[in-house]
Amino acid sequence: MDEKEDPRNGDHVTKKPKLLKLSISDPEFLLGSEFSHHQPGTARINNGSFGCCPESIIAAQRTWQLRFLKQPDHFYFSTLRPNLSKSRAVVKTLINASDLDEISLVDNATTAAAIVLQQVGRRFSHVNDTVVMFHCAFPAIKKSIQAYVTRAGASVIEVRLPFPVNSDSEIIAEFRKGLSKAKSNGGKVRLAIIDHITSMPSVLVPVRELVEICREQGVDQVFVDAAHAIGSVPIDVQEIGADFYVSNLYKWFFAPPSVAFLYCRKSNSSSSAMHHPVVSHEYGNGLPIESSWIGTRDYSPQLVIPTIIEFVNRFEGGIEGIMARNHEQVVKMGKMLAESWGTSLGSPPEMCASMIMVALPSKLCVTSDDDAFSLRTHLREKYKVEVPIYYRPPCEDDGEKEPRDKDGFWRIIKFARCFRPNEKVGSYRSSLPSNDVCVSPVADTCGLTKFKNNRILEDTNG
Amino acid sequence: MASQSHSHLNGDSNTHIPKKPKLSSLSSSFITEVEIQSEFSHHDSTIARINNGSFGCCPSSISNSQQHFQLQFLSQPDHFYFSHLKPGILRSRTLLQSLINAQHLDEISIVDNATTAAAIVLQNVAWSFAEGKFNQGDVAIMLHYAYGAVKKSIEAYLTRAGGHVIEVHLPFPVNSNEEIVFEFRKALEKGKENGRKVRLAVIDHITSMPSVVIPVKELVRICREEGVDQVFVDATHGIGCTDVDMQDIGADFYTSNLHKWFFCPPSIAFLYCRKSSQCLDLHHPVVTHEYGNGLAVESAWIGARDYSAQLVVPKVFEFVDRFEGGIEGIKMRNHENVVKMGQMLAKAWGTNLGCPPEMCASMIMVGLPACLGISRFLIKSTTKSMIITSSGMQLMSLLAMGSLALFFMVEEMCGLVLGYFSWFCNHELPK
Repeated sequence: MDEKEDPRNGDHVTKKPKLLKLSISDPEFLLGSEFSHHQPGTARINNGSFGCCPESIIAAQRTWQLRFLKQPDHFYFSTLRPNLSKSRAVVKTLINASDLDEISLVDNATTAAAIVLQQVGRRFSHVNDTVVMFHCAFPAIKKSIQAYVTRAGASVIEVRLPFPVNSDSEIIAEFRKGLSKAKSNGGKVRLAIIDHITSMPSVLVPVRELVEICREQGVDQVFVDAAHAIGSVPIDVQEIGADFYVSNLYKWFFAPPSVAFLYCRKSNSSSSAMHHPVVSHEYGNGLPIESSWIGTRDYSPQLVIPTIIEFVNRFEGGIEGIMARNHEQVVKMGKMLAESWGTSLGSPPEMCASMIMVALPSKLCVTSDDDAFSLRTHLREKYKVEVPIYYRPPCEDDGEKEPRDKDGFWRIIKFARCFRPNEKVGSYRSSLPSNDVCVSPVADTCGLTKFKNNRILEDTNG
Repeated sequence: MASQSHSHLNGDSNTHIPKKPKLSSLSSSFITEVEIQSEFSHHDSTIARINNGSFGCCPSSISNSQQHFQLQFLSQPDHFYFSHLKPGILRSRTLLQSLINAQHLDEISIVDNATTAAAIVLQNVAWSFAEGKFNQGDVAIMLHYAYGAVKKSIEAYLTRAGGHVIEVHLPFPVNSNEEIVFEFRKALEKGKENGRKVRLAVIDHITSMPSVVIPVKELVRICREEGVDQVFVDATHGIGCTDVDMQDIGADFYTSNLHKWFFCPPSIAFLYCRKSSQCLDLHHPVVTHEYGNGLAVESAWIGARDYSAQLVVPKVFEFVDRFEGGIEGIKMRNHENVVKMGQMLAKAWGTNLGCPPEMCASMIMVGLPACLGISRFLIKSTTKSMIITSSGMQLMSLLAMGSLALFFMVEEMCGLVLGYFSWFCNHELPK
C-alpha cells in the first residue's frame, strides 16, 4: 500500500487512531480532544455554512501537506493519483454509484455547478431552451445560471418553494406547475436543478419523486444540488436517478475545507462532455482525471476521505448513527424553541434532516433581509451565538393564510445542528448563567430591543 | 472580541505594511545560513532538489503562518468569512500591486495558479467567438513551447469556439533574442493572412521546457504594431525569477505563480488585467454571488475553501526582506549560481548550454552527454532533472536552481549530478 511504499521519504503517515468506540454520551471527550480548536464560548449553530473538522482529520491533512512539501515531484508522480482514487472509491460506495468513473472530486458544489452549467450551455440550440430551478436555490447557483445559461440565450423558470411547507405534495405540485410553464411555448427543458436540501429556507425536498416527474416530462438532464446531503441524509444515487449529483463533504461529513464530489451518471451521454473549467494537460481524459489535476495546488482535503470514514466509524452506528441523532436533537431543539416562543416550525420534522427552521417571535420586528442580517450579527457579537436568520417576505399567495405568531408576522431562524448537541449546550452553558441555552438570548433580545438599521434601540413596547 | 484574541497570532491583522521582522542575529540583520537550513528542514535531506521550477518551495515560517489562518477559520468560520477574509486578500493584492508596478488595485486578482488564470482569459475569448465579437477563423498565436496545460486550455476554449491557432516555432538551442523575434514576426504574418484578425497572443515570459527567457517587452511592442487585439503573458515562472514590471512590459494580461519562486505555499498566483474597456468582462469560471463585481472580487470568493495560501503574502514579503537585497538579491544570486553550475557541467561533459546566460533567469538548460543514449522522453526522479529530446537528438537537462542555491554548495550539487551521469554512461539505461 502507498503508506509503506518508500522508506526514503521517511514520512510518517497518520497513525491509526485509537479505535475507541464512542457513543454520543461522550461529549466531554470529544470536546476536549477533537474540537478544542473551536472558539470556546461560541454556540455554533450554523454548521450548514462551513461545517466542522475534527482535529484527527486536520492532523491527517497536515501529514499529506508535509509529504508534498517534502518531495513534491515524487508526490506528484507516485502518491497523488492513487490516493485520490482511494478517496473516490470511498465516495462511490457511500452513495451507491455503479462506476468509479462516475465520481469526480472538486472543491465545492459551486464548482460542480459551473461544470454542469458550462456543459449545458454548450447544448443550447433553440431560442426556447429552458432551465428550471427553485426560487430559493443557493445564490451562487443562481448567478451561475446567469453566467452560463442566460448569457447563452436560454430562459430560466423559477419554481416557488412553498414555505412554510406542510408536505411533500405541496412541493411536487409547484414543481409540476413550473415544468408546465417551462414547456408552455414549445420550450425544451434542457436542465432541471433540484436542491436535495434547500439552504435558506432549509427544507428536505422529495428529490426522487421530482426526478421521476422530470423523466416523465421529457426533461433532458437533471442536476441535484445536494450541497448539504452527505452526512445529513442517506444518499443512493441509483434510487434518486439524477444525471448529476453534488454534495459538499466539508459541511456534514467532517472534511476540511474544502472538498465535494460530483457524480455524473455514466449512462448519460453528456457525462463524457463534462470538463473542469480549469483546463490542464489532463483535458479530454474524463472529468474525474481532469479534476484530479487542475494545476499545482493543495489537494490534501481530497486525500483525507478514507481517514474520515475511520473517524465516523468510531461513533455508534457510524454515519447513520450520527445522522439519526443529529436529526432527533435538532427536531427536539426546534420544537422546544417554537413552543417557548409561541411560534412554529417551518416544515414538519420528516421534512428536516440536520437543520430546522423555527419561526422567530414577531416582537423582534425583523422586516427585511438587512434586519435579519443585523440580528444575526448582534447574536454573534453580543451573545456568541452563530445562527443564520432567514427573512421570509410576504408572498402574494399568502392572503388570509399569511403566517402569524401570536403577535405578528413570522421571522424565521435557521438552526443548523452539528453532531454533538450536548457539546454546544455544555460549552455555552459555561458562559451563561441560564440553563435555557438558546431561548435566553433571543428572549432577552425580544424584551429589550428593536432592530433597525443596525442600531439597537430600547423597545418601548416592552 | 473573540477575533481580537486570535489576531495577535498573526501579528499584523490591522496593518497594511508588513512589520519589520525582529532581528534574529546580533552580528547581521540578514537571515543566516543556519536559519535558512531550519526554514527548509522539512525538505527530504536525501534529495537534491534541482527542479524548483515545478513546485517551488515554502519556508516553515510561511507554513506556520498559513496554519494560523487555517486554524483561525476553523475556530469560528462565519466570523472569519464576514470579518477577516476580504481584508486579508485585499492586503495581499495591495502588496502585489506595488511589487509588479500595476497602476490600479482593481487590476490585481488572486487565483490558484497560472492554469486558472489561463482559463479565465481564454474563457473570455471563447465568449467573444460565441457572441459574434470575433469571427470564425480569427487567430491566436502561441509559442510552440507553451506549457502543456495552456495549450489544452487554448484547445478547450479557443479552437472549440472556432478560433485558429498558430504556433511560433521557437528555435532551441537559441543564441539570441533576435532569433525569437524573427520567428514571432513570421507567425504574426501568417496569422494575418487572408484578412484574418489576430485576437490574442499568448507569450511565455520564461518558457518551461525548454527554459528560455523570452524578450516579452519587445514581442508585446510588435503585437501592438501589428494590431493584435490582446496580449496575454504567461509568466508562471516570472515573480522571483525575473523582472516583472507591468508598465514596462505593457501586456493586457499577465499571470505569475507565487508558489514557484516567491516562497508561497501551494498554491497562489496573481492575474493582472490592464484596466481598459476590453477587460471589464473577465469572469472567474467558478461563479458565486460575487458574479459581476469584478474579477478581483469574484476570485476572492469562489465558494467555501481554504484561502490561507492567499493570505500569507504579507508574511512572504517579510521573509524575503530578511535576505540581503530582498527579492532582487535572491534573484541575482540564483542567476549567478545557476549559470556557474550550468557552465561547469557543460564543460565537464563537453556539451553546451541551451541558450546564453543572459537568456536564463533561475533555470538553465545544459546539454547531456550523448553517451547516455537517451532517445526518448525520460524523467529521472533521482536527480530531479527533466530530460527532453530536441530535434537534433541533443539532450538537455533542465537544472532549476531556486532559493536552495543559497545554501547548497554549487560544486557539491554538481558533483552529485556528475556522478550520476557518469554512472549512466557506463551502464545501459532501462528501457
